[in-house]
Amino acid sequence: MTENNKLFTLSAGAVAAMAVAAWSIFLYAPQDALEGPVQRIFYLHVGSAAAAFGSFALVLAGGVAYLWKERVWGDRLGRAAALVGLVFTTNTFVLGMIWAKPIWNWDPSQTWDARLTSTAVLWVIYAGYLLVRRYATPGRPAMRLAAVVGIVGFADVPIVYFSVQWWRTLHPGPVLVAPGGPQLPAEMVVAAFVTTAAVLYLAGVLIAIRYRIEARRDEREERAVAAQLELSGSSAR
Amino acid sequence: MRFLAVTLAVARKDIRSELRGRELLPALAQFVVLALIIANFAFDLDLVDGPRLSPGILWLVLVFAGLVSFGRAFAAEKDTGSLEAMLLTPAGAAAIFSGKALSAAAMLVACEAVLLPAMAVFLGSPISPLVVATVLVATVGMAAVGCLFAALAAQTRARELLLPVLALPIWVPFVVVGGRAVQVAMSGQSLAALPLAGQPLLVLADFDILFLVVATLAARYVLDD
Repeated sequence: MTENNKLFTLSAGAVAAMAVAAWSIFLYAPQDALEGPVQRIFYLHVGSAAAAFGSFALVLAGGVAYLWKERVWGDRLGRAAALVGLVFTTNTFVLGMIWAKPIWNWDPSQTWDARLTSTAVLWVIYAGYLLVRRYATPGRPAMRLAAVVGIVGFADVPIVYFSVQWWRTLHPGPVLVAPGGPQLPAEMVVAAFVTTAAVLYLAGVLIAIRYRIEARRDEREERAVAAQLELSGSSAR
Repeated sequence: MRFLAVTLAVARKDIRSELRGRELLPALAQFVVLALIIANFAFDLDLVDGPRLSPGILWLVLVFAGLVSFGRAFAAEKDTGSLEAMLLTPAGAAAIFSGKALSAAAMLVACEAVLLPAMAVFLGSPISPLVVATVLVATVGMAAVGCLFAALAAQTRARELLLPVLALPIWVPFVVVGGRAVQVAMSGQSLAALPLAGQPLLVLADFDILFLVVATLAARYVLDD
């Protein structure tokens, strides 16, 4: 029970962190002169994107740990992080769409820029990752195959990004990490970093909870297999 | 050297069995022609639209023909249990995989030999040497990743379903760059204006090298049980 209590404490911390983020978004950061209140979507949008990429980096790390050292925790981490990463990618997309509706006015030529395309590819790859887990033989084969998909998929995303950027791109350029310092008022930068930190923490807590669920599921399956073995052993006698 | 010998032996075996049995190529050629007929009626092509939509039709047909061709490469081995037999030999998994990828790429090239002339005849697409070169260079990398995921999907319950879901997103860079190159070539423009780093054939060759290395490294984990 102690582990569950730890997760409850962490979750309470995540709720508090998100409350601070909400305060910094709506009360602390100033109104954008051009885009108005719609601009406030930006903070959560960037935070979600960072959380999604962080989660997929964990899938990559877990896959490498599994293939290299056959660590089952690596596989469990991959399962947990892929799901959470998909949720945050979806969130990034939805927030981006709400922002783009008034700003870009749904021009289809603007929806296929480098970042949107590579994020869409990212989403499809990790949805495929979860599908592989569903269709492969459970146990070691599923872990092995999923790890390969997680690693190759992660390598593909920067390539998609640069191949579309080589073509043309319309997504607003980096405003936080730009040469010559951030191009935003200081309050906006603070709000962006507070929100990103809060969302990253939230993603970490979600992955920890999901990891716990996956660990319990593995335990249950191991028990079932052991019981089956015992049963067949006693019937043989 | 041994790696190369095994690769060539596996590829030769596949091509020979295809030449004797003719299981895949006639059906693939038929698929390509049918796809062009459907494209013709679906887009209602005329002299203006035919060349304009040709690059898109080319890549759509190529990608789906590739899925069929690569899917068969490992499905047939899996059905007869001969993949396990090959893996029992001292030949390495990576070399066997390279051989399979090579023969699957050869099948797709044969398919392209039908597709490109058929497009010129049916749709009036201007097929220049640049178009042919782009398609051939893209085939190498697409075959490497396609075969990797075909080998992976063959070990699951839903291989026909899983292969497109896995391979198509990874092929996006090839379609982005190759699609652009074919658009430029078919509109009669020259690529000389682009900087060296932006030359689509060089970029595609970079993708080829990258994906060949990645797929050969990953093949060991996909094939070994």
